[in-house]
Amino acid sequence: MSLEMLGKLVADGEADEARALAARLIAEGQGPLAMIESLTGTMAQVGDLFARLEIFLPEIMLAGEALTAVVQELGPALEKAGGRKSRGRVVLGVVKGDLHEIGKNIVKLILETSGFEVKDLGYNVDSLAFVKEAEAYGADFIGASSLMTTTMPRQKEIIEILKDKGLRDKFRVVIGGAPTSRMWAEQIGADLWCPDAKSAPDLLAGLLK
Amino acid sequence: MSYVSRCWEILERSKTGPIMDENDFLPKRFTPALKKLIREYDLKYDPATPCPSDEAMADRLFQAAVDLVVRVGYYNTDTHRIIQITPEEIREALYTAPRQYWVGGGRDARLFEHRMVEDRRPPFCILSPDITVDEKYHQSMCLAYLKEPLLDGLCGPILEETFGHLIESGGPTEISGCTQHIYNQKLAARLVGRPEVFMVAVGTAEHDSGQIAVSNEQWGVRKTDARLVGALTEFKTADTLLNRSLHYAQYGCHTGHLTGPIYGGWCLGSEGTAVTIAAYSLLGLVVHGATFNQHFPFHLNYGSNTTRELLWSIAMAGQALSRNTGLLYTSNGFANAGPMTRMLFLETAVHAMVSTVTGWHLWEMASTRNKYRNRATPLEARLGAEVGHAVARRGLTREQVNELASRLLAEYESMAADAPIGSEYHECYNPAKAVPTTEHLDLYKRVRDELAGLGLVFPY
Ligand code: B12
Repeated sequence: MSLEMLGKLVADGEADEARALAARLIAEGQGPLAMIESLTGTMAQVGDLFARLEIFLPEIMLAGEALTAVVQELGPALEKAGGRKSRGRVVLGVVKGDLHEIGKNIVKLILETSGFEVKDLGYNVDSLAFVKEAEAYGADFIGASSLMTTTMPRQKEIIEILKDKGLRDKFRVVIGGAPTSRMWAEQIGADLWCPDAKSAPDLLAGLLK
Repeated sequence: MSYVSRCWEILERSKTGPIMDENDFLPKRFTPALKKLIREYDLKYDPATPCPSDEAMADRLFQAAVDLVVRVGYYNTDTHRIIQITPEEIREALYTAPRQYWVGGGRDARLFEHRMVEDRRPPFCILSPDITVDEKYHQSMCLAYLKEPLLDGLCGPILEETFGHLIESGGPTEISGCTQHIYNQKLAARLVGRPEVFMVAVGTAEHDSGQIAVSNEQWGVRKTDARLVGALTEFKTADTLLNRSLHYAQYGCHTGHLTGPIYGGWCLGSEGTAVTIAAYSLLGLVVHGATFNQHFPFHLNYGSNTTRELLWSIAMAGQALSRNTGLLYTSNGFANAGPMTRMLFLETAVHAMVSTVTGWHLWEMASTRNKYRNRATPLEARLGAEVGHAVARRGLTREQVNELASRLLAEYESMAADAPIGSEYHECYNPAKAVPTTEHLDLYKRVRDELAGLGLVFPY
């Protein structure tokens, strides 16, 4: 019953109430891992609702924030129980010259709500900055978005910089954006192309297996 | 106050306004304010009326748009500050904004003027493929659009290559591509005998430098032409954009404010999208000194605006602006389907009729979710313009358009998610002569007849 309530609060984006209820549940002896597992299910449902636009972007974002609040609250208890496993660390940005950021923002949200840690570099991001930030963040993935054929060469440039710096094997490079394709990803030696945000979490996770 | 004098005030504010983290601006400032205004002004979407005629709601919606601009402001992503705008400034700008402009030059000049709801004056028709094309088809496509009899203005296709080199954003190839673009377009205009026709150019320019490079009375974008300055979705701008509007004003050409509020994104559903469209027209006027606003609201998943939830937003925003301002604004169609499909023609017709009857001018037609190179032709744009003229000349009412649109929506709406992508330009046009193939022309005629059968009376 209470787990259900917690799920509802998270889905509704009620961060403060969700955090308070999580604290109460822990005090009452509820296991933190079971709570996280149940909330993962909640977020999957929220993600589906958003995919059908039965809820809108700001709503899924609030749900994501409520989840983060709960995870923070559970911090110590989770730590003891073996921690919440991150599905991977991603630095994500839109390549240099490109101001189209909407797709990237949605990818960020979907990755975060499905258990990835994301560092958002924004848009119009220099190729070298992707690499430096990935090193500093200890990233598993570099995610680069491009919405114009005229900025797609920057995705290739990121991979070339990685090679020249002897870092190519350290990061999986994931690309996306309307004009990109699987073929382009293969051509430039990227590890993965995603057609949209909703396919991204599973495809990324697949690369780490 | 003239735009340029106001503009210095604005530039100053983008250095002195309240500071805010960009990540907080939309979730903490924009969306909560919008949500509140939708409630305060009692705005309610009704799926049964894709073309509503609730004037009281349209007027409330306009007030909500004014309040949204005043409460939220425009965010400058370079300075991380909010450009705040007062109600007095909006009122002054609205009062002093001309209700009409002469655009284009000489014999090709046209009057571009404010339209009323259910206005019998036809919409000003800017025709555009809204997409990129192969270098080898660029000139041909410019010609093909310029041949359209109802064209009042052209926004040409975008180049991806210049002299065989891929255009790279911000580099010398971009500047070269911009020069080539305007030459192709101006030559095409001369060839079809409309040398001074109004143009919105050049879409190939991704940076301020590209736009500035083609300001030239002899061979480039002229003062009688217009160019665009975009808004970053939602309610955000940047120095590279402010550079453009300042240059356009000082050069003396027309400015169009390009905005694409997203249904399902930060502006929520149909009501929020409608308020945001109207608010963007105010921002375009006050912040960029826009002659006209060019709006392409779209559905987050489909990338189109021909389904009912978007038509409603377009219709309400159009009425709000038409009844409460003297501004000019173009409704940019975004379709799901691709060229030489019945669906694209139907989508264009519906977009054009709903827009025309609610006070808009037309900007037709981005096809195939505005995503695929070479996938657009002048024929769908022609049908859009013809439908616009038919609706205006016959004095159709919103109720009549609502009924027509509802019948046509039933024909295509369920296919929005997996619409056919149709053909490319060279597959349904003869690029050498810039004329449609027989098959394409036949399909266009069939759909036109179908529309006539439903009671739409075309002017010729
Ligand atoms: C909205 C829009 C704008 C807005 C952008 C607002 C903003 N803040 O982002 C504005 C008006 C500012 C704009 C400006 C311009 N635009 Co524009 N714009 C578009 C439009 C219509 C939609 C883009 C969009 O947001 N889609 C919605 C999102 C949700 O979809 P998405 O980005 O594809 O992302 C999804 C997937 O691709 C994927 N994904 C994306 N990135 C990534 C990354 C990773 C790692 C992963 C895993 C997945 C992934 O997941 C996302 C969610 O499912 C496109 C056309 C189109 N259909 O793409 C043109 C388009 C991109 N623009 C174009 C052009 C030409 C311009 C301008 C040059 C116009 C001008 N002359 O001023 C300027 C360029 C400014 C610049 N330097 O960047 C052209 C580009 C042509 C080309 N050379 O390829 C396009 C393709 C239109 C066209 N067909 O001609 N634009």
